[in-house]
Amino acid sequence: MADKVLTTMHEKDMQKVTVAQKITKVIVMFLLYAFLCTMALIIVFPFYWMIISSLKSTVEYRLPIPTLFPREILWGNYLEAFTAANLGRLFLNTVIVGLVSTILSLVITVLSAFAFARLEFKGKNALFAALLATMMIPGELFTITNYVTVTKFGWLDSYTVLIVPFLVSVFYIYLLRQNFLQIPNELYLAAKVDGTSDLKYLWKVMIPLSLPNLISITILKMMGAWNSYVWPRLVTSTDDYRLITNGLRDAFTDMSGQANIPVQMAAVTVVSIPLFLVFIFLRKYIMKGVSRSGIKG
Amino acid sequence: MKNFLQKIKFDQWKAWIYLSPAIVLLLIFTVWPIFNTLRMAFWNGYGLFKELGGELQFEFGIKNFKWVVGYGGFLDCLKNTMLLTVLTVPLSTILALVIAVSLNAIKPFQRFLQTIFFLPYVTNSIAIGMVFEAMFNIVGFGTSNPSYGIINNILGVFGVDPINWINAGSGYWANIAVLVIYIVWNALPFKILILLGGLQSVNKQYYDAAKIDSTPRLRVFTKITVPLLSPMIAYVVITGFIGGFKEYSSIVGIFGDDMHAVGGESLNTMVGYIYKQLGENHEGDASAAALILFAIIFVVTMINMYVSKKKTHY
Amino acid sequence: MKIVLQNLTKVFPSRNKKSNEEVVAVSDLTFTIPDGKLVGLLGPSGCGKSTTLYMISGLQKPTGGQIFFGEDDVTSLSPENRGVGLVFQNYALYPHMTVKQNILFPLQNLKGADKLDKNTMLERALEAARLVQIDELMDRKPSELSGGQQQRVAIARALVKMPRVLLLDEPLSNLDARLRLQTREEIRRIQRETGITTIFVTHDQEEAMSISDVIVVMKLGVVQQIGKPQTVYDNPVNLFVAKFLGTPPINVFKANVKGGKLYISGEAVLDVPGVCDRDVFAAIRPEGFVPDDNGAMTCSLSSIEVMGRDVSIVSKNEAMLTPTIRSIVDADYKVSASAQSVKFNLKPHKVFIFDSETEERIYFGNQTAPETGI
Repeated sequence: MADKVLTTMHEKDMQKVTVAQKITKVIVMFLLYAFLCTMALIIVFPFYWMIISSLKSTVEYRLPIPTLFPREILWGNYLEAFTAANLGRLFLNTVIVGLVSTILSLVITVLSAFAFARLEFKGKNALFAALLATMMIPGELFTITNYVTVTKFGWLDSYTVLIVPFLVSVFYIYLLRQNFLQIPNELYLAAKVDGTSDLKYLWKVMIPLSLPNLISITILKMMGAWNSYVWPRLVTSTDDYRLITNGLRDAFTDMSGQANIPVQMAAVTVVSIPLFLVFIFLRKYIMKGVSRSGIKG
Repeated sequence: MKNFLQKIKFDQWKAWIYLSPAIVLLLIFTVWPIFNTLRMAFWNGYGLFKELGGELQFEFGIKNFKWVVGYGGFLDCLKNTMLLTVLTVPLSTILALVIAVSLNAIKPFQRFLQTIFFLPYVTNSIAIGMVFEAMFNIVGFGTSNPSYGIINNILGVFGVDPINWINAGSGYWANIAVLVIYIVWNALPFKILILLGGLQSVNKQYYDAAKIDSTPRLRVFTKITVPLLSPMIAYVVITGFIGGFKEYSSIVGIFGDDMHAVGGESLNTMVGYIYKQLGENHEGDASAAALILFAIIFVVTMINMYVSKKKTHY
Repeated sequence: MKIVLQNLTKVFPSRNKKSNEEVVAVSDLTFTIPDGKLVGLLGPSGCGKSTTLYMISGLQKPTGGQIFFGEDDVTSLSPENRGVGLVFQNYALYPHMTVKQNILFPLQNLKGADKLDKNTMLERALEAARLVQIDELMDRKPSELSGGQQQRVAIARALVKMPRVLLLDEPLSNLDARLRLQTREEIRRIQRETGITTIFVTHDQEEAMSISDVIVVMKLGVVQQIGKPQTVYDNPVNLFVAKFLGTPPINVFKANVKGGKLYISGEAVLDVPGVCDRDVFAAIRPEGFVPDDNGAMTCSLSSIEVMGRDVSIVSKNEAMLTPTIRSIVDADYKVSASAQSVKFNLKPHKVFIFDSETEERIYFGNQTAPETGI
């Protein structure tokens, strides 16, 4: 077997190979960074364009060769955007709906997850499996009947109709139950022996221990309210109850090419900024939630 | 023993109390819709008759499905949806894979670039759709002195003549191209996140072993990285297909509620079709379309899972 | 091909950014590994033995010093070009490939003069598989193999390209006791048959002693002693080496030398000619005790364990630094279990004394320092 030993480096010019390898490495690294930076630019460009366009005058915006930075910064576009799309009122609606539905949803999710993770009752596994099965069905299928239902309830044009139908998320219950299951059961039994009530135990032990998940859920839920478009459009007809995304699209549907795009971009920027803030400060939680879910909003 | 049984009983009703809000809401807004959708879908002419004010007897049949498939413009929506899905899923998956692998291969600025690539995830798809609209839009279209928009200007640097992407009279394929670009842009962050997470959990020793065996870079990528990542790739593709078949708001974002360029071909999708029927009180047709959508998603997911079971090796 | 390590040093930057302490994993390592030998790098965890192995493979770059394969300085050569085979501690078999694909993988990467055609590749793979006796399992996936079988596949994969050097990182640590005995014999056999210079890393002294031609004992990044296993066992250069080698472990006592005699607990137990008066550690191999009713050393008896051929006497002494004194004597010797104490004479070549401060060996009588190197 010894006759087959690899032809080895002393037969080749080792120096040359090492140098060639170093050069290849430098070239590969250069290409990698060039590619990544180009892609990063493409990713970021729409945001950049949104912000600079929102500060331009219509005259400047229509220049045949677009300027990459506004010659004259026009903050007035933002004022106009607020009035044109009634952003103030819609913003308020969105915050109300987002906050109330997040809080109620958290309470329901925590209670259900606790029941599934810690309590023993008949049909627990069957019920849980049934819940998980509903996750396979596209939401549009529910929307049709829910629209009929809320119409019958007389809920159209109200905050209720924006909040109640989406309070229960099977996915969040699932997520939190998994989290609760990781907390050793001994803690619960010890609390029982000490005579601690369930709710106190939940509040003092389980909630603090699953805080990261609860924060993820809160953020995703708030973002859901912020980004929801279809349902509010279906069930509300006045600005008293519509949410911010509706105002955005509906206020600027002029496709004639003559629309005041800087004002439009100002409105879009206003809607995007809270999301950026959330992203900057709470990125960790969002990434965690997302990599576990794959569900948007 | 008696104590133990009492505890079980106590747990029983306590559990149901905790679960009651969730169960009540689920019964109304999740379970009932499942049955009701079936009922309405197979109730011949459900919405139409109701609209006419008639009290009608339940009449089982597949007329709604027939009407949807036959006349309702559903097939066009299906075509648009399929087209967008088939174009965007492979494109975004391959691009995300290349980006994730590149990100994983660098050290300085890795976190910074990772953050940038995740940025589009936390955006409002309607809002950013409007930004894309503005970028492709020709301002002053039809006037003597139009501004061709930033994209056409950038293309102009490479000697490409201005293209009418989305304005009045723009072509179907130009519209689709804009949508594909936007959807891919929008889909990248999630895919990169998942794939990068997968890459970072691959045991480094496989790469050391490959190095010891003088494996060329490309071969490492095709023979080691991709197979080891195949469960993540499968996951990303499956969720991509599901998302693709439910495409809706990105089109509204760019083209508005009408979902077509002025004078252009409809870019409506299956979900858009369902909402349109619902808006016109055709609940029966909407239900039938929703069931068809569900069936398609179900079948495609099953096929995907079957294929990925065969292709993911362990 | 021989391998020369010259002043090899590896310093890892501190993990904690606040303290600027660097971790010296390997310090100023110099030794030569002769062609065709099986060498065991031995030491407790954290002694730098794995780092040394990875530096030889090229996966880690030394901070200082040089590595030669034969006459060639390979220090700056990347692992791809070194032509080494490496068996990882967890084997690192590609989970998505069959055994055959795993073994073929390195061959498919060969370039230039080494490039093989398909049939030769298959032949070579089968040959390697036969060598490690897994030719029956070629179409299985790694997950369908036992630990021992995976280990063999890993060796076959490392051997199939006929590397210049075969490196094994803790090759037996994931196997159960029975398999470990069997596999270490296999490694010995395979190394003999192929004649490839082989270096393996282990923390198990028995493993290293049993199959190595040469062992290198390391502690905290510094080589303590290099030599044939028996030489190192018989003639340790310091207390660490003496304690590290041997099962049952060597017995260590606090002792002192006075007037050419070694005193343990006030008893003169052995003549140590040529050693001046000082405090020392005395270390006595279990087989260095000879029970004798008139013996020089008295210990209080704890228990007697009869193990067929041998008898193990467990006793205590107030000067001992190990938890018990364990001596192994011939089964012919009968000790009464009811006795309170036992007396021994000592075999001079099984007794080592060490400076109480430096823990370096002090040679006495006809003991001489072992030859350094191999």
